[in-house]
Amino acid sequence: MPSLFRLLLTILLLAAPMAAGAREQLAIGLSQFPASLHPNMDSMMAKAYVLGMTNRPMTAFDAKWQLVCMLCERLPTFDNGLAKRETTADGKAGVALTYTLAADAFWGDGIPVTTEDVLFTWDVGRHPQSGVGNAEMYRRILKIEVKDAKTFTLHLDRLTFDYNALNDFQPLPAHLERDRFTPDPATYRNRSLYDHDSTRPGLYNGPYRIAQVVAGSHLVLERNGQWRGTRPDFDRVVVRAVENTPALEAQLLSGGIDMIAGELGLPLEQGLALAKRNDPRFQVIFKSGLVFEHMDVNLDNPALADRRVRQALMYGLDRQGMSRQLFDGRQPVAHTQVNPLDGVHAGDVPTYGPDPAKAAKLLDEAGWTLKGASRRNAKGEVLTVELITTAGNRSRELVSQVIQGQWRALGVDVRLKAEPPRVFFAETVTKRRFAHLALFAWVSAPENVPRTTLHSSQIPSAANNWTGQNYTGYADPRMDALLDAIEVELDKPKRVELWRQLQHLYAQDLPALPLFFRAEAYVLPRALTGMEPTGHQDPSTLWIEHWRWRP
Amino acid sequence: MSIWLLGRLAQAVMVLAVMSVVVHGLMGLMPGDPIDLMIASDPNLTPADAIRLKTLYGLDQPWGQRYLAWAAQVIQGELGYSRLFAQPVLAVIGPALLNSLTLMLAALVLSLLLAVPLGMVAAQRPGSLIDHAINASAFASASLPTFWLGLMLMLVFAVSLGWLPAGGMQSLGGDGGGLIDGLRHMALPVATLAIAGLGQYARHTRAAMLAEAGQDYIRTARAKGCGPVRIALKHQWRNALLPLITLLGLEFGSLFSGALITETVFGWPGMGKLIADAVMGNDFNLALSALMLATAMTLAGSLLADMAMARLDPRISLR
Amino acid sequence: MRRDLPALIGTLILALLLAATVAAPFVAADPETMNLAAIHAPPSLSHPLGTDELGRDVAARLLHGGRVSLAVALATALLAAFLGTAIGLLAGYHGGRLDALLMRLTDGVMALPLLPLLIVLAALDPAKLGIGPEAQSTEAFTIGRMVVIIALVGWTGAARLVRAQTMTVKARDYVRAATALGATPARIMLRHILPNVASPMVVAATLSVGNIILVESALSFLGLGVQPPMASWGNMLTGAMNVIWSAPLQALWPGLAIFVTVLAFNLAGDGLQRRLDPRKV
Repeated sequence: MPSLFRLLLTILLLAAPMAAGAREQLAIGLSQFPASLHPNMDSMMAKAYVLGMTNRPMTAFDAKWQLVCMLCERLPTFDNGLAKRETTADGKAGVALTYTLAADAFWGDGIPVTTEDVLFTWDVGRHPQSGVGNAEMYRRILKIEVKDAKTFTLHLDRLTFDYNALNDFQPLPAHLERDRFTPDPATYRNRSLYDHDSTRPGLYNGPYRIAQVVAGSHLVLERNGQWRGTRPDFDRVVVRAVENTPALEAQLLSGGIDMIAGELGLPLEQGLALAKRNDPRFQVIFKSGLVFEHMDVNLDNPALADRRVRQALMYGLDRQGMSRQLFDGRQPVAHTQVNPLDGVHAGDVPTYGPDPAKAAKLLDEAGWTLKGASRRNAKGEVLTVELITTAGNRSRELVSQVIQGQWRALGVDVRLKAEPPRVFFAETVTKRRFAHLALFAWVSAPENVPRTTLHSSQIPSAANNWTGQNYTGYADPRMDALLDAIEVELDKPKRVELWRQLQHLYAQDLPALPLFFRAEAYVLPRALTGMEPTGHQDPSTLWIEHWRWRP
Repeated sequence: MSIWLLGRLAQAVMVLAVMSVVVHGLMGLMPGDPIDLMIASDPNLTPADAIRLKTLYGLDQPWGQRYLAWAAQVIQGELGYSRLFAQPVLAVIGPALLNSLTLMLAALVLSLLLAVPLGMVAAQRPGSLIDHAINASAFASASLPTFWLGLMLMLVFAVSLGWLPAGGMQSLGGDGGGLIDGLRHMALPVATLAIAGLGQYARHTRAAMLAEAGQDYIRTARAKGCGPVRIALKHQWRNALLPLITLLGLEFGSLFSGALITETVFGWPGMGKLIADAVMGNDFNLALSALMLATAMTLAGSLLADMAMARLDPRISLR
Repeated sequence: MRRDLPALIGTLILALLLAATVAAPFVAADPETMNLAAIHAPPSLSHPLGTDELGRDVAARLLHGGRVSLAVALATALLAAFLGTAIGLLAGYHGGRLDALLMRLTDGVMALPLLPLLIVLAALDPAKLGIGPEAQSTEAFTIGRMVVIIALVGWTGAARLVRAQTMTVKARDYVRAATALGATPARIMLRHILPNVASPMVVAATLSVGNIILVESALSFLGLGVQPPMASWGNMLTGAMNVIWSAPLQALWPGLAIFVTVLAFNLAGDGLQRRLDPRKV
């Protein structure tokens, strides 16, 4: 009997709810765990989110989509004299940029961030065996001249309008990493301290440093004692990864975590449902930004190569209705790939409202006439499109089913197919193996020139190792000329005009069928203020020192 | 006996070798490689970068050579580095294995502790009300989708009642890490797995007990005047163990390969999740090592089951 | 009679389910007709179980989804049981090298990762196998692919069970007598051993029907199951999971359908086992 009593007691003890934790800590839920922590090897949203709190890039876009200095004192411009035109050795237009590292930038072990670190980072980045994925940025740097411990001049091999953006340049601590790199650059990626001794304070220069990593489960971040900027409100930030989003929401509701990141959190419909319940503990912020949901068209397909067919398909869709009924109007309709919040957006591009009559007329003109319930051409072939998307993405599943229904009403036969993202992104789309349409999203930075997706030189093929992202196979000399011109046009009004022409061409030609700018749901505790969703690639955590707890 | 054992061990090594070829081949057959995935997420990757990275990761080699290189490395006792986690394979597998073993063993023990007595009780009076009740609950427990069961337990015990945490292995913050905290976090995932497994053990125990009940030696024992409880525990049970042991041997490997769905739902970083991520991310070193471990343990489980059967059942001889 | 009651109930439920799903196209509304103006509508006369996230009739989707889930499960169970029994019988009866080979094959397949196999199969281009795009989008193709995938990894349990049982039966006197009388191995396996391994096989096969329905739902959960717009209980349940904290009832119907069906199969199989095994009556 006593043992039964003890058993009961144990069960009661186990079941007793824990006392609510004090507010020295903020626990954030994410739907992905960062596999590695090295800032420069590859890009992964979960890693960017965590490193946003611990490491600062040279520059970033802020929540107002303005380029700002994160680790430098002033952005070099031609006006302030820190940027100077020059000619490269092979006679092209180049630029010299002088940056000064923030005087109060220190690594977590008290060593200042210096030009030594900048040079080392450049060495790693451009070394052919270092394993850094995106080496292009480092290769564009022809030379780095060191003025003193904090000031240096970069010489770039080209002059583009975004010449002073160094958003991907994350300095590495030379005093710790050099010994890991220099002896054997080819194995550096497996020996970096970021993954072998992740809790070394000296690896981090942001307001927090990583104090504990429990692989696959959570990371504990603590105040970086050497941070001289604005003091953040929380002594400790914990990032917990739960891949299954209903389970992620359960953790929030049961108090296991305080908030869910918008960057990598709940799918929109789940966020909407949560917002509708008006739970007094939480506030839900919806932010639509630079995630462009669209359907890439395979322009090699004879039926879809006809622009009238693509336009008819657009007229056959009721995207406003979808946005209203599926997403509570939180997810705005996209007319081109340029977001209305972007400074270079053109307000006068032609749009495609739902207009079945116009759609029918265009299809008739293109030779697809209605016979019975379906549209056929002169040869009697039925107008059929296969729409492929990523399996397991609920929003896309719903949208593609609605699209199927709306196009069927036009007499177009739509077959739906879903592939695991791994297959979809590594093969079907990147190697242009989709028959007709592929539904997915592009994530970009503000005023991002869509060269890789629209320039005729960027069509993936075996010859270029399937690089480039022009999966549609769009090739138009006018588009190529506009892209080339925009990149090197430094005069803002002139550039805006070029952008306008680009958007008009895009909206007429429809190399891809635009759908929405995806909205993301940020679920925050009521007491949290100062967190501003950015709506682009740079995570909101880059400004965590401004987050405030106001109960 | 020892010759038989040596033979089985030799067979096991052969199976492992063949399976490593199959797994390596299957992963190689999967469309796209890590660099293709990198290209999809990084617009600035140039054709030259693609070649450089493929060479760096050895992906430019033909499949056969890549396999041989991996095998040669493993034979020398070097499991290599995980591509995804940029760490030695053992350092990645170690913690995940420990997490999975804890979870799976606890669930197995719990479900056996409940299922075996239930099965034996049910077999005592086949067709009785209690038999039907046990039978029905055994069936019911095995009739629920695991992810649904897990989320429902979460809904009741974590969200509505607030008694237990909804996931993870420990509380975040100062109170985390203790034994009680760990047990509290284990409660729901263990319950999910135990409930899902309970039915089959109870069913098999009952079926095995009944199968033995008709045998001559039981009739003999009964004729000699043994009571039903004594018969059940002394005679029937010993023989009814055989199918149960086969079943357990079968489950042995799963202790090492984890439970993908339960781990995903409860954010428990175990082997199931690790293997799935490694396979999906084309992390050859990690996926092969983890899968070979699971295969080796499945083989060991089957070997142990056969040995136990031979010990317990004189009618079966090991050759 | 009383002891057969659960089995009777199970069989009755199954008969009803089969009738309902077979009759689905004739009695239920079109499962793919959407009405975005009536999303998540409560039950009404026109929609007895309400509507789903795209305003489709839940009752119609349940019935059509049941066709898919049941067809997948039954076909897979038969295929897996056939493969498993054949392999288990051969291994158990012949023993020796053949046994070792087959059992190691079983071990290997059991440890084979389900996931990469599924992805490889999902990524294979069916056109290369001579299946045209029209055929690919048919229900039969979708179901057939799931059946082959699950059966290819699902026969191992049955094989081991049959083998263990065969080894036990083989050692019994009447089998020895038959062998001594010169019966061929094939005859002994079919006439003497098969009837004896049938009852554990029935347990295994019936439990496996249920298991396969559960596997199908698990695959949907992982994003690898039957793909929309075709409904299956698995993908309906997975879809409902996203709104479980806001609308727990959405998950009720597909969850209940799975639960009741799996349970019914198990009860019916249990009853069948009693019938097949005369010693226990």
